[in-house]
Amino acid sequence: MSGRLLQLRGLAVRTQQRVLVRGIDVDVEAGRVTALVGPSGAGKSLTARCAMGLIDVVPGLCGGTLKLPGTGDDRDWYGPHVDGGAAGMKRLARETAPLRGSYFTYSPQVAASALNPGRTIGRQMQLAIARRAQAVEDAGAEIRDLLTEVGLEPRAAAALPRELSGGQCQRAALAIAIAPKPRVVVADEPETGLDPVLRRGIIELLVDVCQNHGAGLMLISHHEDTVERIADHVVRILPHREEAA
Amino acid sequence: MPRKVAILITILSLGLLVVAAFHAPEKRTVDMMAESYATPWQLPPFGADRMGRPLLDYAMQGAHIVALPAVAAGLLVTLLGILGGLVRCMGSAQLESLVSGFREMVGALPRMVVILVVAIVMPLEWRSLLALALVWALLAAPGAMDEAAAVAGRLGGARFVEALRAHGFSRARIYLVHVVGFNLRPVVVRQGAETMMQVVFLEVALSYLALAGQYTSFTHNEETTKSWADLLYEGYYSIALGIPSGHALVLGLGLVAVTAVAAVSISTAARAR
Repeated sequence: MSGRLLQLRGLAVRTQQRVLVRGIDVDVEAGRVTALVGPSGAGKSLTARCAMGLIDVVPGLCGGTLKLPGTGDDRDWYGPHVDGGAAGMKRLARETAPLRGSYFTYSPQVAASALNPGRTIGRQMQLAIARRAQAVEDAGAEIRDLLTEVGLEPRAAAALPRELSGGQCQRAALAIAIAPKPRVVVADEPETGLDPVLRRGIIELLVDVCQNHGAGLMLISHHEDTVERIADHVVRILPHREEAA
Repeated sequence: MPRKVAILITILSLGLLVVAAFHAPEKRTVDMMAESYATPWQLPPFGADRMGRPLLDYAMQGAHIVALPAVAAGLLVTLLGILGGLVRCMGSAQLESLVSGFREMVGALPRMVVILVVAIVMPLEWRSLLALALVWALLAAPGAMDEAAAVAGRLGGARFVEALRAHGFSRARIYLVHVVGFNLRPVVVRQGAETMMQVVFLEVALSYLALAGQYTSFTHNEETTKSWADLLYEGYYSIALGIPSGHALVLGLGLVAVTAVAAVSISTAARAR
């Protein structure tokens, strides 16, 4: 289960006006927690999205290498796209699209943004399970097991997100994130909007579930105390004020 | 009501409307005076007017007048509603201000007044319910766009799209399936269905207005084609009983009921889950 899954080196991203991040290094290993910490606006979420090949700013990527050893492919995914402008960023997003939702999964800041309000939790988990490399024989049983693992009743599968509480939504979002059996789970401030007790419970659950599945966890947070307690690696990102040349 | 039942009712009611519209007699130039002397059991089903002409023909002509315009107006409102919702999800400030300008400008217009002006100003040879229905749909669109934008806003707008992209979905799939298919669908389809029903009531109102004011019809230019109001007016007096029985109401209200059932069942079928 051990091994490096993601290696990001010297990430640099800019807009036309200013440099957003520069010189960021991130490693994610199987069964371990890598935390990205820093104040709001420092570029934590941007770094996580860049690690998944999603760069929505123009001209975007201006330096760095990204390797994903867990895919069995040793290439530098950024290689041909550095300084590629909008077209390069589109090509990078297209090349990495098959990895998102299978190799990487993402749990956004607000669970409501991860859960589709028009679909039951069960249907959304079904979609996530369908992205696994190997077909699942009994998706229903798999859904029940995953829901139980994250501390939800199996009947939550029939519920719409609006019928669940905030904490239950976070648990459901976690079940969906883990359903495709990803190698890397990117969790973007999963504790946002939860009370302190629930926050601690969700983070611990997230770590446990990722470790049980042998997935690496990239956790974005601005709670230093949480990060100190659970993270194996901490990457501190500070706001960048450098103007673009 | 289960979705399958709602879909079945939708197909049946819309089918009935379309079949009636397609089989409506084109023109009725010859009065069948002889039938006015027929005994009740010799009269056509659903009765006849005072000249002995079958009221069912009138109802079918009514369906012929409203079917296409009602569906077209419903589709236009649905499409504009989808546009309103998608623009909110795209996160483009310029597009959003353009759409909100349209919503505010058109939304401020008094709908019925605009329709009456258009109906009166429109040259006789261009008169059709389709033109009025499309104007009505444009006037009704801001409401649908507002509601769809609110739904998209509750989804998280551009953040929702970003989150799904991180799950590996393409933009096209996110917009078409996740935003429109799963979330906007119940709202925009209901708005479209309501507009469809409103167009039928619009025809009813305008045909009564034309009849009462002794104008040429606002909704069609063929003198021999009869509308909803004509149906009620001509079929008001029962030639069989010799009294003003209002028996044409059965057919007239039936036509409205079919449209109302279609609209309600479309909305029910489109509801999520």
